Amino acid sequence: MGEAEKNRHNGSPDRAAQAVIYETPFDEFWRLFKRDRLAMVGLVVLVLLLFMAVAGKALTEWWVVFDPSTVNLVDKFKSPLSQVSTLVPVDTRPLLGVYILGTDELGRDVFARMLQGSFVSLSIGFIAVGISVFIGILLGGLAGYYGKLRLGIMTVDTLIMRFTDVMLCFPTFFLILTVVALLPPSIYNIMIVIGVTSWMGTARFVRAEFLALREQDFVVAAQAMGLPERRIIFLHMVPNAIAPVLVSATIGVATAILTESALSFLGFGVQPPFATWGNILSDGKGFIFDAPWLFFIPGLAILVVVLAFNLVGEGMREALNPKLRQR
Amino acid sequence: MWSYILRNLLQRLVLLFIVSVIAHGVVHLAPGEPTQVDPSNPRMKPEDIVKIRKAFHLDEPLHLQYAYWMRDLLSGELKSFKDSQPVLPKIWDRFLNSLPLFILATIIVWTLSFPTGIKAAIRRGSIYDRSTAFIAYTLISVPGFFLSYLAILWVVAVLGVPVIGMRTFGMEDAMPWFQGMDRIWHLVIPSLMSALGGIAVLSRYVRSQMLEVIGQDYVRTARAKGLPEDQVIYHHALRNALLPFVTMFGFLLPGLIGGSVIFEQIFAWPGLGRLGYDAILSRDFPVILTINFIAAALTLAGTFVSDLLYAVADPRIRLH
Amino acid sequence: MKLKTILIVAPLVVTVVLIQSYFWVPSYETQTVGNPSRVEKFIDSSIGDAKILNPIIQADSASSDITTLVFEGLLDLDENLNLRGRLATEWQVTEKAYLAVISGARFIDGTPVTAVTLEQRLRRAIASGLIPGLKDQVMGLRRVAAEERSEDISLPGKDDKAQTVKLHLRIPERIEISLRGVDQDLFEKLIPVIGAQYADSAPYDRWVEVEPNERREAVRSQFPQWVPVFEHNPIIEFKLRKGVKFHDGQEFDAGDVKFTYDAIMNPKNLSPRTSDFEPVKKIEILDPYTVRVVYKRLFSPAINAWMMGIIPEHLLNDVELKKEMERRNISPELRKTFGMRESEFSRHPVGVGPYRFVEWQSDEMIHLRRNEDYWEGAPQYKDYFYRIIPDKLTQEVEFRSGAVDRYSARPHQIARYKKDKRYQNFTSLGFGYTYIGYNNRLPLFKDPLLRKALGMAIDVREIIKYILYDEAERVTGPYPKNTQWYDQSIQPLAYDPEGAIRLLNELGWKKNADGWMEKDGKLLEFNLLTNNGNPIRKAVVTIAQNAWKKIGVKCNTQLFEWAVFLQDFINPGKFDAVVLGWSLSQDPDLFQLWHSSEAGPQKLNFVGYNSAEADELIVRIRKEYDIDKQRELTHRLHRQIANDQPYTFLFAPRATEVLDKKIVMMKKDGSYTKITPSRSGSIYYSFNKWKKLEHVPEFK
Repeated sequence: MGEAEKNRHNGSPDRAAQAVIYETPFDEFWRLFKRDRLAMVGLVVLVLLLFMAVAGKALTEWWVVFDPSTVNLVDKFKSPLSQVSTLVPVDTRPLLGVYILGTDELGRDVFARMLQGSFVSLSIGFIAVGISVFIGILLGGLAGYYGKLRLGIMTVDTLIMRFTDVMLCFPTFFLILTVVALLPPSIYNIMIVIGVTSWMGTARFVRAEFLALREQDFVVAAQAMGLPERRIIFLHMVPNAIAPVLVSATIGVATAILTESALSFLGFGVQPPFATWGNILSDGKGFIFDAPWLFFIPGLAILVVVLAFNLVGEGMREALNPKLRQR
Repeated sequence: MWSYILRNLLQRLVLLFIVSVIAHGVVHLAPGEPTQVDPSNPRMKPEDIVKIRKAFHLDEPLHLQYAYWMRDLLSGELKSFKDSQPVLPKIWDRFLNSLPLFILATIIVWTLSFPTGIKAAIRRGSIYDRSTAFIAYTLISVPGFFLSYLAILWVVAVLGVPVIGMRTFGMEDAMPWFQGMDRIWHLVIPSLMSALGGIAVLSRYVRSQMLEVIGQDYVRTARAKGLPEDQVIYHHALRNALLPFVTMFGFLLPGLIGGSVIFEQIFAWPGLGRLGYDAILSRDFPVILTINFIAAALTLAGTFVSDLLYAVADPRIRLH
Repeated sequence: MKLKTILIVAPLVVTVVLIQSYFWVPSYETQTVGNPSRVEKFIDSSIGDAKILNPIIQADSASSDITTLVFEGLLDLDENLNLRGRLATEWQVTEKAYLAVISGARFIDGTPVTAVTLEQRLRRAIASGLIPGLKDQVMGLRRVAAEERSEDISLPGKDDKAQTVKLHLRIPERIEISLRGVDQDLFEKLIPVIGAQYADSAPYDRWVEVEPNERREAVRSQFPQWVPVFEHNPIIEFKLRKGVKFHDGQEFDAGDVKFTYDAIMNPKNLSPRTSDFEPVKKIEILDPYTVRVVYKRLFSPAINAWMMGIIPEHLLNDVELKKEMERRNISPELRKTFGMRESEFSRHPVGVGPYRFVEWQSDEMIHLRRNEDYWEGAPQYKDYFYRIIPDKLTQEVEFRSGAVDRYSARPHQIARYKKDKRYQNFTSLGFGYTYIGYNNRLPLFKDPLLRKALGMAIDVREIIKYILYDEAERVTGPYPKNTQWYDQSIQPLAYDPEGAIRLLNELGWKKNADGWMEKDGKLLEFNLLTNNGNPIRKAVVTIAQNAWKKIGVKCNTQLFEWAVFLQDFINPGKFDAVVLGWSLSQDPDLFQLWHSSEAGPQKLNFVGYNSAEADELIVRIRKEYDIDKQRELTHRLHRQIANDQPYTFLFAPRATEVLDKKIVMMKKDGSYTKITPSRSGSIYYSFNKWKKLEHVPEFK
């Protein structure tokens, strides 16, 4: 199987033979990825963010060091790095008595809210993309592998691809907005709706990969050996088709975070008590003249994170590009 | 050829039908009904609500409601729940409002992306290439409304002129030239904002297409012949790199509806996106469904046109 | 190389063309340069667009902003919230009361009742002064012959389908008593003549026949409504202003008033105002400038309904609608339902108000121009633009760049505008207030003391200070604070978290190990909901949650979009507690909000408040025509509700408006003064006299 994979990626057998000696595909990918400095910066940001999100969840809910829900009206609209006032009860003061990122219109600690929000925002991105990747692989795989099977008047492939076409016809953001506005607002609905409306691209290229892979020797061989189909699909074909899916998933997370912030702006985003960067931002815009940090901090945070996802995604795409690999 | 077109059209009609059925189902099965949306009306009695439901056919089964909708849509007599006005003229007015924004945004995208992308391709790996890449990624990563607010605040703080809406009010008696320029000015910021994402994506695409073509043998040959670099790039390479962009004209159409909600909301632009958004808020089902229907129809028409254009432009592709 | 040139020149040209357009756009300072007529235009802005510009159909505030300028009612409220004549110059309230003659009943002395004897005895009693006070009140007494009529009503039948039931009513002879004013206690005063049990012997079996007869029992309880023994018919007679013209030149007269009423009651129009006019029995046109409205029963707030704009009969009657259908080529199917709602009038209204309608571009603007023939004199501003700017922040930005003349600031912004020399600002109390409503039906919230404890835990002063920047006032009860119905002497609940804990302890709630209140193994826990899109309510929710946490009450919060919020929670009554607000009027009638019969699903007493004392007061208030007595009753109702605490009453926000300082109010003699808001909080009260000056005026 390893041989076949190298062949496919490298195109030329000699080079593959050389490569096999000293480099696994992942090593090769990593070597190429490292060359892209922007992508590396993006990766570092993402790792930090992941750490921050987990820490945020831990420090704001399980072991409360920063309490995002404490209201201290006397300390409202404190600018970043300002000291807590003496009127605030000792047990509700922030760590070290400093509001690192200031406070909002209710005197809540913005840093604590951003920490809490990072976890929620990221989970929205990941879960929505998870759903979309799952549907995409499932439908794309079905269409690619069982495509020729006939169901009544049309083949499975036609059925699935026509359905994909139907989904592509909807104006995506308008559809998401409609559904989110009509359904009761819940964080899960938003994740599901974003996921369910964004799987079409994945499905398309998983299908294309599967169609190509079906003809590859290692799959034909596996079929000839009478391996169960489940095994062939999940152990042999999916791993070979996964690389482009990962690229689009990375960029998908970025898009999902942006979509959530856009929904928040229109008032249909995640509702309290969940804080997300999107709703901190859209709440903050009303205070832009009076407390600009409430607008800039979440806005820039979203920008940086989405940018990091996009850069990493692009870096991966480049690193997986066979034309680049030849050099 | 004709049979291909016919078959293709038929297929698309079927798709359109399925899309409309799904949309209808989604909208009607979701909670929230138009009659109850009226918060300012504490005197609405249950009897009145029953009456209104009946007037809007909301008390009938879904497939009948679908039939009513389709019948009214096709006969042009579809009425909005919100104000009982006919839906199609309403959408047409809004479409006309959105159109200048859309056209200007398209012009900005297409005029700016090509030079940027081509230059980046020629100077591959240079500071210019890398910084445009970074700027492009930044532009697609920034929430549109965040950037728009920054732009608005900057304009109002530094330039001190109005930017919201389609024109400055109170200028009705000023000279026509002033009024015309005023209208153009009001187009600038919103269309620039909605164009930024497009510039980023398209310029990257131009760059990669150019890189692809520059690596081809015939370009190498042209260079080898000793042709001037400009001629190689603009005559031999660019012509061929342009081919895929022909198809993109088809995909432009649906953009009229999709992403404009936020910008129209911020800039108080009375366009299609806002019509749709307000319809969603007030559960104005006929308007939501019709906009969705038109968007789907435009998408289908767009892909159809781009298929055709591609076939016409690229002799290697034959329709069958 | 042409291609290269194009690629470089095209973006440059586009950029230059776009950038140069900036130099032609006026800033705040240069508004009037080359455009002096700017000062004659007033530009207002609103978050939402109007829906339908017909005063009898509309139900949204944007539409009413416009229709109050285009249309005019018979009456309106003056600065001090008293009724003032507009299209009506004067009006008189009288009453006709009817007493049914129950043949078979007996007087107290045992003589049988007949129409003749009843009339004689009443006459004698009134003239002799046996019944004090009636002698001056009664204008006349006469017998009315018996009559018969039929009526169809629909009842809920089997399988939720409506069943139509026919009623034959044999109305007996009656005595009609004409009164100079309305007297809700008239029939009690007649007891010395007819006896206290007079109505008990009413022979409904003879008076009412039901078809089909098996539904008789189902409707028996309603018999006294159809054939009342005692009936009050209050009457309002309006004298109309002469020579008032609609914007198209047609003169306004009594026919238009009657037509407006008929249009509201026409089921085709689905008017949301039918319940305001439901008590009307009939409208009679006495002459082109006199209208008499006869009511079915005592209902003192009924007169307020006549503040509604009058619509022109000559443009909307059946003949005109038919013509419009022809002109617009409406299909036969749609003609069946074609009514005023569908008419183009709703987008091109014609009224008698100070402004004429000119143009409406949906979601962009509505343009009005002054009515030069307005009966009170043409307004100062020539044009009125109503811009629709859906975002509060961009609205402010437009205001600051001079493209909008008025901005209703949020509380935290008003301090900033107070310092700014370019603007004048107004803060005034309106008709609204915000509250936390508890679902009184739930066992948890049944006890008023628990509701009181929850209220005591919330520091409303702090909310007012920090969230509303002191642009609000504390309220204690159900009436708007700026009306006379509100009892200013009632003290608000004191902020006392310790006291709240003590009160909860007395009720059996004890703090458990985690610090939460617990009773019988159950936590004191509930959900607090509100609608999204309102930052103040959202803040109140968060503060309440935090305040209750401090006394050990666990509260979960959720925000819902308005439609979902109403449909899933408020209408079916499925909620624990909500933060909401009422925007009321100067109407003393609170029946729909607080009467126990209005506690069902879809009704406005959604918290399920149920108090026999309050019910009685509410019913008395709406029947009382004497303002002083009415005020006394409303103060009692206020106290009752404040004691029961079905809501935690929080605050009444002040409307905070900012205007360009150059706008002043013109006097008749050409001098001008500062603009002053009316007692209802509206700065628009004197809008017709507003004028924008070229310079900033100086006031001492």
